[in-house]
Amino acid sequence: MVKAIEINNLKYSYDEQPLFNDFNLNIEAGQWVALVGHNGSGKSTLAKLILGLLVADEGQIIVFDEQLSIESVHRVRAKIGMVFQNPDNQFVGATVADDVAFGLENTKVDSSDMPQKIDAALTVVGMQDFKDREPHTLSGGQKQRVALASVLALQPKIIILDEATAMLDPDGRMTVMETLQQLKQQFGQNLTLITITHDMDEATLADRVVVINDGRKILDGTPAKVFSQRRVLHDNGLELPFANELAYQLDKKPEDYMDERELIQWLSTLNK
Amino acid sequence: MAINFEQVNFSYGAGTTLAQPILHDINVTIPDGQVTAIVGQTGSGKSTLIQHLNGLLKPTSGRIIIDDFILTNGIKEKQLTGLRARVGMVFQFPENQLFANTVLDDVMYAPINFGYSKREAQIAAKEALKRVHVSEKLWHKSPFELSGGQMRRVAMAGTLASNPDIVVLDEPAAGLDPKGQNELLNIVRDLKSAGKLVVLISHQMDHVIAVADHMIVMNNGRVAAEGTPTEIFNRDLSWFKEVALDLPKAGQFAEKLRQKGRSLSRRPLLLTELAKMLNGDDQHE
Ligand SMILES: Nc1ncnc2c1ncn2[C@@H]1O[C@H](COP(=O)(O)OP(=O)(O)O)[C@@H](O)[C@H]1O
Ligand SMILES: Nc1ncnc2c1ncn2[C@@H]1O[C@H](COP(=O)(O)OP(=O)(O)O)[C@@H](O)[C@H]1O
Ligand SMILES: [Mg+2]
Ligand SMILES: [Mg+2]
Repeated sequence: MVKAIEINNLKYSYDEQPLFNDFNLNIEAGQWVALVGHNGSGKSTLAKLILGLLVADEGQIIVFDEQLSIESVHRVRAKIGMVFQNPDNQFVGATVADDVAFGLENTKVDSSDMPQKIDAALTVVGMQDFKDREPHTLSGGQKQRVALASVLALQPKIIILDEATAMLDPDGRMTVMETLQQLKQQFGQNLTLITITHDMDEATLADRVVVINDGRKILDGTPAKVFSQRRVLHDNGLELPFANELAYQLDKKPEDYMDERELIQWLSTLNK
Repeated sequence: MAINFEQVNFSYGAGTTLAQPILHDINVTIPDGQVTAIVGQTGSGKSTLIQHLNGLLKPTSGRIIIDDFILTNGIKEKQLTGLRARVGMVFQFPENQLFANTVLDDVMYAPINFGYSKREAQIAAKEALKRVHVSEKLWHKSPFELSGGQMRRVAMAGTLASNPDIVVLDEPAAGLDPKGQNELLNIVRDLKSAGKLVVLISHQMDHVIAVADHMIVMNNGRVAAEGTPTEIFNRDLSWFKEVALDLPKAGQFAEKLRQKGRSLSRRPLLLTELAKMLNGDDQHE
């Protein structure tokens, strides 16, 4: 197994109080990890540490075999794309295409190759028809997909989305989540995804769910494993996905974990 | 102290060649002492609508009656001071509103602005911070050192501290963790019990069904429907597609079950209600 990210004995504090104290996490290449935890639990800080925007006090962060250091930070950053929460704060270009171009201009991409790369990235997120639009005329979900395209154009091996759907309406959320699922299908092992979210229904789409609280790892495993821990989730300010909470409240419950689709199937064949 | 919109139209850049009509023919009542949810797709005009409640925006035509105050296009800025003290707003991206050196100073700003003494403002600010569950550890931090969800709570405390009669919350749950969202719903319930009129913009229909008495559905700058959540959420499925609105999760789940051939006697709106129906507890209804 190729490791995309390896975090060993990480220590970090903003002030006197330690936030991460001996934190460990390994993420395999191609995995989709949902990182969840209450507000202030350290999710964004962890993302910034991985990107080298913050420097660990102690411990190692290794991204595809390269240990993060002052010397390696630019090479490491080039492997990672990041999409943030507020769709309005991440645009630099006057048009959608310009915006995607902006990131590419800082790389060694031949300018004659750029239009084709821009098209390709916008096509992946289903925004190719909006190339010439001004970003402010787009809906929130469309803006986030453009932000994702700008990141994709740089061909990162890892994409981190920090609450990228939190500001979106249901339609916007759905299109972003569908885009991510499609990306996973298309890139498979070549793309590692970390989605930071408070929406447990979104977290069920990941291969693995990691729950953190105040810099400590509380739960780590498949959605089936993590979402069987109702009490622990509640104690950490979180909830079960809708389907699992419903199953929990049924007199006659399925024996094993089921996602929404499976539960609907199960219920529809039961005493019809 | 109900709020009435009468024949309200609004354009950004009204009177210029770039005028963009946004709100059309708005006639709605926001009842006193209740929680009114305003819902609708991004861009449907929700934020534009509520910015009329404290005169931040003025109707291009028509008028808005807020208790004994009549807001029209001609109103002067200085006539709005009293209204602003009575209508507290938490904007959609409240982190953009924060500015002071410490969390506590930030929350004290509005009460001081509305004439509280420094001491009174501090007491009010501390109460408000406790109310929205901002830990005391954070009170002397810079607001910019907080996580997104923490900033949101601080911004809300800033609005509540001056004890406005009308509280307007524009997508306050965005970015809050599940516990924080439940706490927010409790704050809304508390405000209502304290006799306040609350306006809540939300994309989460589960929040709407949990706290709202009244509901306004916006679509393309018009009011597509007005009524109680139960009335509105029992409309035909096709209507929800038309106005790009979701059902609460329990309703969505029930519709998916129905498509798979398992029909329920009615459309549940809460998870507990759906569970009961599936458990067969309400077959004699
Ligand atoms: N720039 C900063 N300076 C000091 N403390 C900070 C700063 N940024 C975040 N924090 C604190 O670190 C903790 C974790 O924050 P963050 O990583 O943003 O949490 P999350 O993303 O999980 O909501 C919070 O308690 C927050 O107040
Ligand atoms: N300051 C502004 N100038 C011009 N148009 C605006 C401005 N603010 C919002 N709009 C436009 O008004 C419409 C309604 O926006 P808004 O009230 O923010 O909707 P919502 O809150 O429902 O998402 C949108 O088409 C938006 O682009
Ligand atoms: Mg964060
Ligand atoms: Mg809005």
